[in-house]
Amino acid sequence: MTKRVSSAGRWLPREMAVLLVALATLPLWIEPVGLYQYLGVEIAIWMIYGLGFNLLLGYSGLPSFGHGAFFGIGAYAFGLFQLWAFESLWLGILCAVFAAFVAGAVVACFLSHRRGIYFALMTIAFGQVFWFIAIKWHAVTGGEDGLLNIPRPALDVGLASAGLESNTALYCFVLAVLAAVLVLLWRLVHSPFGKVLQAIRQNEARARFVGYNVWMFKWTVFSLSAAIAGLAGSLFSMAQQSAYPDVISLHASGIIVMMTLIGGGFVSFWGPVIGVTVYFLARDVLGTLTETWLLWFGLMFVVAVLFKPEGIAGAWQEHVGAASGRSRARRALAGLLSTGRD
Amino acid sequence: MTHVLPHLLNGLSLGLLFALIALGFMLIVGVMELINLAHGSLFALGAYFAMVIVAPDVAWLGAAGEAWLALPLSVRYVLAILVAPLLVAVVGMGLELCMRRTYGRKAEYGLLLTFGAALVIEETIRLVWGPSERYLQVPQAISGAFLFAGLVYSKYKLFAALFAMAAIALVWLLLERTPYGAIIKAGAHDSEMVRALGINLTRLRLLVFGLGAGLAGFAGIVLTPIWGLRPHVGIDAVIPAFLIIVLGGVGSFWGAVIGGILVGLAVGVTGAYAAEWSLLSMYLLLIAVVTVRARGLLGKKSALEA
Repeated sequence: MTKRVSSAGRWLPREMAVLLVALATLPLWIEPVGLYQYLGVEIAIWMIYGLGFNLLLGYSGLPSFGHGAFFGIGAYAFGLFQLWAFESLWLGILCAVFAAFVAGAVVACFLSHRRGIYFALMTIAFGQVFWFIAIKWHAVTGGEDGLLNIPRPALDVGLASAGLESNTALYCFVLAVLAAVLVLLWRLVHSPFGKVLQAIRQNEARARFVGYNVWMFKWTVFSLSAAIAGLAGSLFSMAQQSAYPDVISLHASGIIVMMTLIGGGFVSFWGPVIGVTVYFLARDVLGTLTETWLLWFGLMFVVAVLFKPEGIAGAWQEHVGAASGRSRARRALAGLLSTGRD
Repeated sequence: MTHVLPHLLNGLSLGLLFALIALGFMLIVGVMELINLAHGSLFALGAYFAMVIVAPDVAWLGAAGEAWLALPLSVRYVLAILVAPLLVAVVGMGLELCMRRTYGRKAEYGLLLTFGAALVIEETIRLVWGPSERYLQVPQAISGAFLFAGLVYSKYKLFAALFAMAAIALVWLLLERTPYGAIIKAGAHDSEMVRALGINLTRLRLLVFGLGAGLAGFAGIVLTPIWGLRPHVGIDAVIPAFLIIVLGGVGSFWGAVIGGILVGLAVGVTGAYAAEWSLLSMYLLLIAVVTVRARGLLGKKSALEA
């Protein structure tokens, strides 16, 4: 227990260091194990998305089934900025984050006094509104085809500049963003703000009676989560060099819920990280074996909801918890996952 | 203003169909306080079952299939419309059995589980019947077109609207004029009291879920000749269904019917003037209504809000 406190207070907890080292060396080993560089880019982008999403689902207990909208808005905003204004990495990302934040803030105004199922239903409705706009507003979004030929602007840091055309270079950039997001979110969820979010998840009425402005907290966390989704979206449009409406669909919005839940977002900070990895590995490994891998992934999700809603991280915690007191090494490993949540 | 009338009629018939889609959803959400996101997949499943019953794969069944196909289409169609919803009801009951593990936990788990079930059913459909567009044959008598007041109407759409009205009337009769309806409504109102009165609530839930799923399948059969049949057609059904329920008020029968008709009118009328954006109108309608009336048009306070 004492370890939890100390780890939570750190800027770079051990598990984050392990994760970042694993990810940083990924370009070296991903091809030898039979996968490909671009997969790393996808996984890192979705980790950012999932971590931001878990602020809502796991920490605040607000199930959003329309989060793809903000991911999509980020992707479109980045693409439109590159195509209509001028090529700029930082301004494009800024524009994407801002657009997703504004959209999230507006939607949150309608959502923040809702709870549970009603909240979920309203997020579906808003997600669909954005999906329709993306499909129908041809002049701006390019309709069902989306925006094509979005450039990957060069990374400009003052005097130096580096191209991001290769997937490896892009991966390094995305990883740097992921690291920043990890540190920021880790600090955020262990701040007083994060504690209030968890209080809202546990009992919204009590949190209100204690004197917290619950509406304001929900509004803030929703907008923030939308902005992070927008950030991930902007990276995604760079990775794909296009932005298309699929990512906004209910299906895609549901997938991020599934990833977060299977990984164990309800009980651990690391849930979305695990879930995203499992999803993409399942897609690529099961996908080579069978065309219906999504069926198996769906079954896995159903089984997880029925028997282990705490997800992989929860199962791991229990496994390690059962053996605790016997093995110090195992307990150290438990720290890997259990530090995510108090 | 004569131009508006056909669009209003069109919207009205569409609205009845939307209400039909929402009926099963309304029953399940009303009694079980469960948002059944698999509703759309059950809807698609009903249509696929009906397609198989109307035109089974002869190579598979051999002589029996030949004999069956020799029967007139209308006979096969009537049988399909009777049997397919029952099969879907059985699937729905299976889902309810799984669902039992989530009772007593947060309502979100039910939502997540049905989302997973929707994905599984949709992928199974894709696996069994392939991803491409399929067709459900309808008898000659109810296909084609007819002229009315100088305008061409699709005969099938009229029949579909009649089917929808019949289903709405039957569900109304069940809910309002039979003891079963009284139990269902009581179960939605105060499940503990119902249990205390010695009514088997577990079985009631199973049956209501089966009925809701069967209605979803029936709606699928009725809608398919209009919408076409694809594995992901369910998403086109579940979204309006939940939207109508939220719009009309959770657990309210007339809320679902009125909500359905309103959505149909909104889609129909905007469809006439801005066809591209017609489906957007229903979301805007929902957001407008719910912003003013948080519980929908006819909604009462529900346990779901806690």
